[in-house]
Amino acid sequence: MSTLDDLVTEFARLPGVGRKTAQRLAHHLVQQPGERLARLAQALVQVAERVRPCTVCGNLAEADRCPICLDPRRDAGLVCVVEEPAAVASLERAGEFRGTYHVLGGRLDPLSGVGPEALRLEQLVARVRAGGVREVILATNPSMEGEVTATYVQQLLAGQDIRVSRLARGLPMGGDLEYVDGVTLAHALSARQELR
Amino acid sequence: MRLTRLTVRGVRNLADGTLELPAAGAVLLGANGQGKTSLLEAMAFPVLFRSFRTAMDAEVVRFGEPGFHIGVAFEDGARARTVAATFRLLGRRKQIEVDGVPTRRLVDAAGAWLAVVFAPEDVQLAAGAATGRRLYLDRTLALADPRYLATLARYRSALAQRNAALRQGRADLAAAFDLPLADAGAAVVSRRLAWVQAAGEQFTTGLVALGEQSGEATLGYHGAVELADPAAWGERLVQAAPRDLARRATTVGPHRDDLDLRLGGRLLRDYGSTGQQRTAAVALKLLELDTIERATGRCPALLLDDVFAELDPERQARLAARLFGGRSAQVFITAPRPDELPRGLALPVWRVSRGQCQPGD
Repeated sequence: MSTLDDLVTEFARLPGVGRKTAQRLAHHLVQQPGERLARLAQALVQVAERVRPCTVCGNLAEADRCPICLDPRRDAGLVCVVEEPAAVASLERAGEFRGTYHVLGGRLDPLSGVGPEALRLEQLVARVRAGGVREVILATNPSMEGEVTATYVQQLLAGQDIRVSRLARGLPMGGDLEYVDGVTLAHALSARQELR
Repeated sequence: MRLTRLTVRGVRNLADGTLELPAAGAVLLGANGQGKTSLLEAMAFPVLFRSFRTAMDAEVVRFGEPGFHIGVAFEDGARARTVAATFRLLGRRKQIEVDGVPTRRLVDAAGAWLAVVFAPEDVQLAAGAATGRRLYLDRTLALADPRYLATLARYRSALAQRNAALRQGRADLAAAFDLPLADAGAAVVSRRLAWVQAAGEQFTTGLVALGEQSGEATLGYHGAVELADPAAWGERLVQAAPRDLARRATTVGPHRDDLDLRLGGRLLRDYGSTGQQRTAAVALKLLELDTIERATGRCPALLLDDVFAELDPERQARLAARLFGGRSAQVFITAPRPDELPRGLALPVWRVSRGQCQPGD
């Protein structure tokens, strides 16, 4: 049955979904009532039609600008630089950050053919040059490529009269020292803070 | 460390199944091509999850099989432990389990089971190319200190990214990886230097103890020793930048370094006789054994592949005294005939024939 096979193939292209899971999903769906499938289909069509990158920060948006860039209560003088939109969602869940974001769309990764021009770096520099930005917080992932990307952005912004900071690295809250890996512990030790 | 059980499936010409092994070890007797070396290869594989005969896991797979599985059960002091590796040709994936728990990172599994292999091809350590000596150095240090393996992995990924950028002709992108390269690279150089310094004297006395008297043997480090300091990298990388770009590869760093082995001031690789090279290689293997023992406080099993046949009787006796005297390591030793074994070896004899291995005399 080629219609069902097409659906299985589409599912199997999704990240983390293998051929078997794809088959299970497809067989589950065909047994659902028609209107439920229609809702799913409509949701997909709408995502395709409406969701696009925010013209300011690159985050997911349904208009020219994302809700965060449009929110007047957010501090546009603070820009948090992340690799992917998923990181914006995580930081928003934390609820602590009241500034705005800049989504690079990846990280420097020459082995995968990703150089600076593949990232939204020019847009970031343009945002800073346009004025009003006091601080750029580099929140790329604490992997080697993430660190390299952070350093690269830092150097790009070197001439600008703004503060550039990097997220702290160290111990996870509610964790157990026993289970922390050596590299993290070493960072936590070297970045220890004096108690006052 | 005592290997109690070895399970193999799909490994070269070995019969699939599980062997219960004697605590003292065994002599593995059998004609050539019966599977003696493959048995030692299987025993040694779960140490660093690579074969001592090949860098390609796929070559270990018996022809026509989808992959291989090697599992070892062993006693580490009073603890009974297991390590297993499963390799599938499809996707070239290697799964590792330690004590029944799947492990994602090699660092968490490396050296749980410890064994040191002595094989005829060790002579390449003294006679062959630098790659073999770097591999020896990295393996020894990784087993002595798991942090070294983690640092080396970071160095290799920084190097791979930097070289990829250079291949694309992107000097600016390559330079972005200078910092992690210098950071991990300096740690690699400094750890290697510390080892060479500590091991030098033992190498010298080790060759004398093995009967080498034609001059003083020395062990040194060949490479830019100033790179043990991360601060020294910046200038060196800037100097090398045009050359790196032209060659499309990083030309500075410990991935190009070598061990400097000399006898009477002359390079063993170029001027040593085969006998001298063989003795030096044995001395290096003994250093590996001692380094791992001292650092971990554990006694690796000895896997000896036909090593005595290559030595004259006097050196045979000296090596046997060094390996078996005053030690209680588990020993597995292969030979085609009983008369090619050192005298006074009191080990159970197992026969290896057509990939099958069983007790017998």
